[in-house]
Amino acid sequence: MRSKPNRTKAQSEIALGTLRPKRSSLIWYVFLAPAFLGILCFMVYPILESLRLSLFNSSGTGGTWAGLANYKTVLSSSEFWHSVYNTFYIGFFQMIITIPLGFIFASMINSVAFAKNFFKVIFFLPNVTAIVAAAMIFTFVLHPDMGILNYFLDKVGLPTPLWLSNPGTAKWAIILLGVWHWIGFVIIICLANLQAISPELYEASTIDGASGLQQWLFITIPNMMGTFAFLLITGWIGALQRFNEVYVIGGPTGSPNRSIQTVVAYIYEHGFTGFQFGIASAATYVLFVIILIFTMFNLKLTKMKL
Amino acid sequence: MAALTQKKAFYISNAIKFILLLVCGFLLMVPFIWMISVGFSRTANVQMPFPPKLIPKDPSWFNFNIVFENGQIFRAYINSGIITVCSVILGVTSSLLGGYAFSKGKFKGKKVMFLIVLGTLMIPMEPRLIPMYEMFNKLGMLNTFWPLFLPALVNGFGIFLCKQYFDRLPDSLRESAQMDGASELGIFFKIYFPLTGPIAATLVILTFIWSWNDFVWPLVVLNDPNLQTIPLYLASFSQENGTSLGGLTMALATVSVVPIIILYLFLQRFIIQSIALSGLKE
Repeated sequence: MRSKPNRTKAQSEIALGTLRPKRSSLIWYVFLAPAFLGILCFMVYPILESLRLSLFNSSGTGGTWAGLANYKTVLSSSEFWHSVYNTFYIGFFQMIITIPLGFIFASMINSVAFAKNFFKVIFFLPNVTAIVAAAMIFTFVLHPDMGILNYFLDKVGLPTPLWLSNPGTAKWAIILLGVWHWIGFVIIICLANLQAISPELYEASTIDGASGLQQWLFITIPNMMGTFAFLLITGWIGALQRFNEVYVIGGPTGSPNRSIQTVVAYIYEHGFTGFQFGIASAATYVLFVIILIFTMFNLKLTKMKL
Repeated sequence: MAALTQKKAFYISNAIKFILLLVCGFLLMVPFIWMISVGFSRTANVQMPFPPKLIPKDPSWFNFNIVFENGQIFRAYINSGIITVCSVILGVTSSLLGGYAFSKGKFKGKKVMFLIVLGTLMIPMEPRLIPMYEMFNKLGMLNTFWPLFLPALVNGFGIFLCKQYFDRLPDSLRESAQMDGASELGIFFKIYFPLTGPIAATLVILTFIWSWNDFVWPLVVLNDPNLQTIPLYLASFSQENGTSLGGLTMALATVSVVPIIILYLFLQRFIIQSIALSGLKE
């Protein structure tokens, strides 16, 4: 231990090119102490302990060795796979609607000649409200008989679904809420990156006689691929952890009829309403692996460098 | 002549974009407008006003009076405020210190430690939920605010942002202070800390949003109604009443959402910049 700090001291002296009193590099660990204390207590320990719990029959204290029994229970539970299906279904449609729509809005805001900032502020507003408050408002907005959405749909002659009262349409209610809440974020990220595209590209193509639409298709969109990849990856990480709004609207079981129960809601149901810590921990590890694999898959798909 | 049609085309395309954005922006705002309108309708607790009206038939403060008299919302504001302020202080401090060490420090294990910090970004909350619950349970800290702000110490993204920020500040500042024999802590606090304004503001905003809206973890840790944060209070109210008591629910939503919206309107430039920074590719 003693010789190593000396060596780094010597190195730093060489780097500085000075011959001054020796400085200790230990001080840097003091700078990092708060963060690493946190990482140890709230990251490393819980992740390992969670792995241990998943291998035990546990409801809090102690517990008996269970091997992979908890994983077997989870992986053979149709309720679990149903929650995986719900999570992916909601996430997929939220993503495929919000990213293109948000990009189109961002392009319009970026090119409109006036009130740019006004639109930026307005479109981002839903994202500022807590998703829990938004879910609370949406239980009424989406009410089949008294809700304002069905009132509008009826006015323009569209069908008026039962939304949250019907397991068949409940997921779409959550998707709608997700789109409304997330679109502002997509717009802000797209706008920031749109403004980072070099104006020279546009100038050159204008000289070549390209129309605005052609520029959008052949310059803007190819230059935004990295941004779409970023949104897809962060969007999926968030979507796979969806809980708040489905808990407020459908409770831990995701009513009606488990139609909106997400994986995290399944974990919450077993961990904190049933106190089946072993099963809940196994489910969290399965979710963890799903997130990792899916993120890797997205990184590959979008050819983004880690 | 050609210039004239070009000008015309410019105005027409801008007008179309403007109107389209205005209509869509209005549609996005409808839930908020409706929320406030229903909040002022006393009869909405029995029968939601239908068809929807912008100004209710008999506007009254009835629902708001009940929300204020009950007082739970004020307590929730105070609770959320305490937790958020503590989280912001801890999170920003640990990010600034950590980011500075990774940017300017020379020490053993720097690379590995930085990778560990980035690795924390990959680890979701859910696998940690139960062990952290057990840990704070053993420490007798359930139903206190400690478990809610202590984990704010871990802010991998904050450290990353700070490191990038300090990387752009010149090393020459350090070197001259070192000549004068200043300590590393002294250099940080006297020379670099006063320059951290912009990045600290960004971190404050991001940590504030994250902490204010946090839901799963407080839901697990707090079950004393007196300690509920705003999202917890809203969720428990919403679950108790479902789609009955529309007027009261909307008044409560208004009281919890409108102050945040006003704060946002004042700080919108900084908030939008901070969010954009979190998604700018290098």
